[in-house]
Order: sequence, then C-alpha cells, then structure tokens
Amino acid sequence: MDVVAADRLQFAFTIMFHYLFPITTMGLVPFVASYTFQAARGDADAAKAASFWTKIFAINFAIGVVTGVPMEFQFGTNWAVFSAASGSVIGQPLAMEGIYAFFLESIFLGVLLYGKGRVARSLHVASAFAVWFGSWLSGFFIVATDAWMQHPVGYQISGGRIELTSLPAVLLSPFAWWQYVHVMCGAMVAGGFLVSGIGAYYLLSNRELDLGRRFVDGGVVVALVFSLLAVFPTGDRNSANVTQYQPVKLAAMEGLFESESGAPLAIIGMPDTRNGTLIDPIFVPDVLSFLAYGNFNANVKGLKAYATQLWPPVELTYYAYHVMVGLGTIFVAIAALAGLFLVRRTLFRTRSVLWLLLLVMPFPYIANEAGWMTTEVGRQPWIIYGIMRTAQGASPTVVTGETIFTLIGFAGMYFLLGVLFLYLVLREIAIGPSEASPHAAEVATA
Amino acid sequence: MSVAAFVVIAFMLAMYVLLDGYDLGVAAITPLVARSDAAREGSMRSIGPFWNGNEVWLIAAGGALFALFPAAYAASFSGFYLAFMVVLWLLMFRGIAMELRSHFPSEIWHQFWDACFAGSSTLLIVLFGIALGNLLRGVPLGPQGYFAGTFSELLNPYALLVGVFAVAALALHGTLFLIMRTQGPAAERARRLVLRQWIVVLVLYVAVSAATIADRGIRFSWIDAIPLLSLAALVWTLYASLHSQERRAFAGSCAWLASLMLTAAATIYPYLLPNLPPARGGISIFAAAPSPVALASALAVTIVGLAAVIVYGTLVLKRLAGKLSVEE
Repeated sequence: MDVVAADRLQFAFTIMFHYLFPITTMGLVPFVASYTFQAARGDADAAKAASFWTKIFAINFAIGVVTGVPMEFQFGTNWAVFSAASGSVIGQPLAMEGIYAFFLESIFLGVLLYGKGRVARSLHVASAFAVWFGSWLSGFFIVATDAWMQHPVGYQISGGRIELTSLPAVLLSPFAWWQYVHVMCGAMVAGGFLVSGIGAYYLLSNRELDLGRRFVDGGVVVALVFSLLAVFPTGDRNSANVTQYQPVKLAAMEGLFESESGAPLAIIGMPDTRNGTLIDPIFVPDVLSFLAYGNFNANVKGLKAYATQLWPPVELTYYAYHVMVGLGTIFVAIAALAGLFLVRRTLFRTRSVLWLLLLVMPFPYIANEAGWMTTEVGRQPWIIYGIMRTAQGASPTVVTGETIFTLIGFAGMYFLLGVLFLYLVLREIAIGPSEASPHAAEVATA
Repeated sequence: MSVAAFVVIAFMLAMYVLLDGYDLGVAAITPLVARSDAAREGSMRSIGPFWNGNEVWLIAAGGALFALFPAAYAASFSGFYLAFMVVLWLLMFRGIAMELRSHFPSEIWHQFWDACFAGSSTLLIVLFGIALGNLLRGVPLGPQGYFAGTFSELLNPYALLVGVFAVAALALHGTLFLIMRTQGPAAERARRLVLRQWIVVLVLYVAVSAATIADRGIRFSWIDAIPLLSLAALVWTLYASLHSQERRAFAGSCAWLASLMLTAAATIYPYLLPNLPPARGGISIFAAAPSPVALASALAVTIVGLAAVIVYGTLVLKRLAGKLSVEE
C-alpha cells in the first residue's frame, strides 16, 4: 500500500467512527434542552426524561470528544503539505471551532452535569441551550471547512501558498450553508428516530408507558419534519451545487456514463466502469435532467465526457449516494406513516408501526455516513477541488509503516470505545428513566 | 503581527498548563492521597466540571497554530508523528476514564478506570515536559523544516529531566488545587505532602536551570530577570500554603507556572521550532506566518473569541466553585 492510501484509510476510518457520535450529539441535544426546560417548569416526567437523555448524551459526548481530537491533529500529522499550503484558509474555521464552539460546549456541559442544585435553575436550563448552540456551531465550522475543500472561495494563490483573502466569503459561502443545513437535517432525523425508537421499545415492552408515549410522539414529529427538509429544499440545493461546481461527481453519483439530453434517473443498477455501463438498471426516463437542471430535455454530461484521471472512485460514490437517497426516502415514508397513526391517536397501540420505529433506529446513522462518503469520495481525486490533488497533500516524512501502525492502534482503541459505549448505553436503556439514579455528578454535588 | 500571533499561541499554551495542569496534577497525586473508592471519586469530582473545558485550551491552541502558523503546524505535527499519536491515545484514555467511571457501580470497574486515569495523566505530563524540553533544546530539522531525527532522539537526558520536573511541578499544582477544592482525609494527606513536594520541585528547578545554562551557555538579557520572579512565586506558594491560605497558595502556583512558560517562550523566541545547535535557525514566526491579510483575520477572530471565553468562563465556572466534602 502506498502512503497516501494508508493516510486516506486512516482518515476515513477515524472520521467515520468519530462521526457516529456527533450525529447523536447534534440530533439529541434539542431533546435534552427541551426536557430540561420543561423539567425546570415543574414537569416531573420531563425531569426523568431530561435526566435519562442527559446521561446518554454525556456518554455519547465523551466518546465524541475523545475521538474528535485526532481529527484536528490528523491534518497536520498525515496531510502536512495540504495543511501548510491551505492552513491560512482552513485553519481559521478549525481554530474558530475550538475557540467559539468547544469552549462553549464543554464549559456549559460542566454546568449541565454538575450544576443541578448548585447554580440557579435558570442558569442550569440556559446551559442546556448553550450546549445545543455550541454543538451546532461546531458542526457549522466543520462543514464550512469541508465546503471550502469542495468549492474553494475567498482565497488567492501566491508563491505556492493558498492565502485567505476573505474569511466572510469562506464562512458565508452558499455551498457551505446548504451543506450545513442538510447535515443538520441528517442529524435531526437520527435524533428523532433515536428518541422515538427508544420510546417504541418501552411501549412494546409494556413499561415506562407515559414517557414511552412522550418519546414516540416527540421523536416522530422531529423525524418527519427533518426527513422532509432533508429531501427538499436542502438535498435538492446540494444537488444543484454539485451539478454546478462538481459535474464529474454528479455523473459518478448517478452512474451516468454517456452524456445525454433527457438523461434518465437510475433507481438501482450496478456500475461497470470497465465497459462504461450500468448493469441491470431500473431507469425513470428524463428525470435526472429535470432534477439537475429543472428541464426534462437538458443535457447532462456523463463520466465519459471527462478524462478518467478526473473520475472519483465511481462505485463507492454511486453506492454511497444511492444508499443515502434510498434510506432518506424510506425515512420519509416511515415517519409519515407513524405521523398518520399519531394523528389518528392509534400509534401507541399499533405494534407493527412501533416495531418499525424500533428497527429504523440504526439506519439514519448509515444514511448520514453514506452522505458524507458521497461528498468526500466524490471529491476525489482532489483534496482541494480543482487546486490540489489528494496524492500531493500527504506528509512527506511519514511512511506507510507508521500510518499502518497508528491505524492499528486506532482500530484497537475504537473497538474498545465502541464496546464500552454500547454496553453503557444499552444498560441505561434497560434500567429505564424511572428506575434510574440521576447522573453521578448530580448526586455527588446535590 | 507575527509577534502578536506568537504571544497568542504562548498565552493559550500557558493557560493550558495552568488549567489542565491542575487536573492532570490531581490525577497524578490521587493514588498517593486517596485511599478509598469514595476518596478517589471525590478527586475526580473536584475536577469533573472543569477538565473538559481546560483541555479545550490545548485543542484550541492546536487550531490557532494551524491558522496563525500553518507551516509550523504542518512541519511539527507530521515531524513528531509518533509522539503526537501517543499523546492522542493518552488523552483518549484519560477522557474516557473520567467520563465512564461513574456510569457503572462496581469497585472493580472503578479501580480499573482510576488506574487508567492516574497512569495516563502522569504519562501525559511526562510527555508534555519532554516536548517542552526538546523545544528549549532545539530539534534536528531537515532542509524544509521537517523534523529529521528519530523518536528515541527526543528522549534525550535533558528532555527527560524536564519531563520529570513537569511531573513534580504539576503534582504540586494539583495538590494545592485539591486542598483548595475539597475537604476530608484525602485533602489532609495532601496538605502534609506539600512541603516535601515543594522541596523536590525546588531541587529539580535548580537542576533544570543549571542544565539549560550548561546547554545554551550564558547570555545575559532581560530574560534572566524572570527566574527571580519564578523563585518569588514559588516561595510565596509555600508560605501561603504553610499558613493555610489555600487560594493564595494555588494562585502562587499559577504565577510560578506562568513565569516558567514565559521563560520558555522568551527562550525560543523568535522561533516556533528551533534547530538543534550547532545548526542555526529553525522555523521562525516570520517564515511560518501566512499573508498579512490572513494573519490579521486569524488574529482578530482568535483574540475576540478568547476574550469572550475568559469572560463567560470565569462568570459561569465561579458558580461551581466552593468546597466539596469527600468522605473516606
């Protein structure tokens, strides 16, 4: 394996594992804040809910933090040439994440976990909202960093270095904002289905009935709203940006090899890059042209219009995109179905739909990861789109053996973290909100 | 402007040493003073609400280095690849030990995480000390400014001495924090350890100073005034501690560590990564900085953000201050 492949493998592995936790952090924190707020107004059930979800949030947050630190370091350790060349631009949103978001999150999480009964109730509630704001802000800075690598703006090149000319241009880039709201929709769908799934589990097990109903109710509404927003307008606007700025990626995502007017949308099919066709496809005629350009006859360029060195890995990009879109559609259907039963007030006794809500829980995580894979794998062969190739960005002093060594280290460490996380969270769920002792920090300082 | 950026980075790292320094120190000292499950939990609780925010100073300093001095960030992080990775893994162990300990009611579970917590924290202090030692000494750099030595070269006697000194200094810092923040048998034991720890710190300080002078030769400059300040702060710390002025003792320790960081920054200035003598030069703050526009932008967002953090952080965390009773 050459060193760039090893660096990429390590980055992909560590970021994909890490990202499982921010999804939950960002998707769950609105529920934590909302239950904490209701609890402060004297709602006893909400107090149990707040305590229960805060505990799960804290475990998740801890793993998110410890797996997040390597990400910021890896730009320097494994991608030194890229970092030295572009640090004046992407260093800024990354530094801002630390200074504006991480401090906010970690200081106020300390108050949220340790402050109950010690600080004024209003500060305790406010700290939940500050953690919410901080975690969403953190997401923004990361997406802004990535969006710049996808579509560089606000820079000039002088003396081989990429120099920032305008920070507002980087932070306010429309590419970044549409990507950000789409990412947040993805996290909220995961959060909504997580809460409704746990609620469904309690209802199906015939325990924690009041809280179970409350979780299902809140979770389904959130999942429905955000799964719709994920499709339109945010998904649609992201596609428009890709169409405009990254047409090769679009062709790979859709598995379109030949340029066509009235290009069809492939629902399924397996790309064959050697012969340049989709195997066993199901097409919907003309729809791709419409989705990309708003016109059923528009010409969409296929992969063959570009040199193969400019192609991203077609199979991964294609499957990742189709997994995301397919799951996204299923989420809308499940959330809408559950919403229908909710409106008719029969959801809480319709076991089949509750089962569906329970089983759908892990899939938003897959959809979120697949979405990022589409974005990042589809960006290849560029590390900065159109400016620097991934192969040029790696550290000159780090060899394959070192990266493989640390990759094995991360794999072992993350296996341990994954097992611990699942064990502790499943344990909390099994104990349930009513039986549970409060977070240890709350007892200790009360 | 490069100078201002250097000051910002040095300030952030100094804040990291003062703040995360005490929670690392508490972790290192806990096995010596806490004799029961409850007492060890008390130690962890004393830093529970703070440690994560403290650690952010390191992460934010990394981010700020990336934005302010991209070339130095790239060369040092990739050059010291293995060392950085080991630090990362230790930070992970420490973080999960802190957070996961309390989630399962079993003494065996607690003992395991307590050991991880103390071990990884102590080792982290040693590694940070070794890093600082190598910065002061200079490291072998290749033509493009990338580290050209090996991992084992970083473990030279001088750097190891600074590593040991760091453990002693931060253990004292943590002890003073524990005394200030908790009451109970563990705090009492900590109180009785202060004088002995102080003597060790003083001896090591003299040894490190002598080694530094032996290594670099004597060049009299204004920097030589700072060690007087350091000594004054160190003496004040002991005086306040022996008179049971807990907050003043901790403040004295903060001043002492800050003066050490100031000495270190003044010693390596204007380099971020000095070359190992007899080779001259290194990665200087002027060579590593981006264009003036970019640097001004990065400086502005960093300084405004840090000012806000200091204001709201102080206001909020003050409300969590106060003594914890720790049973045994």
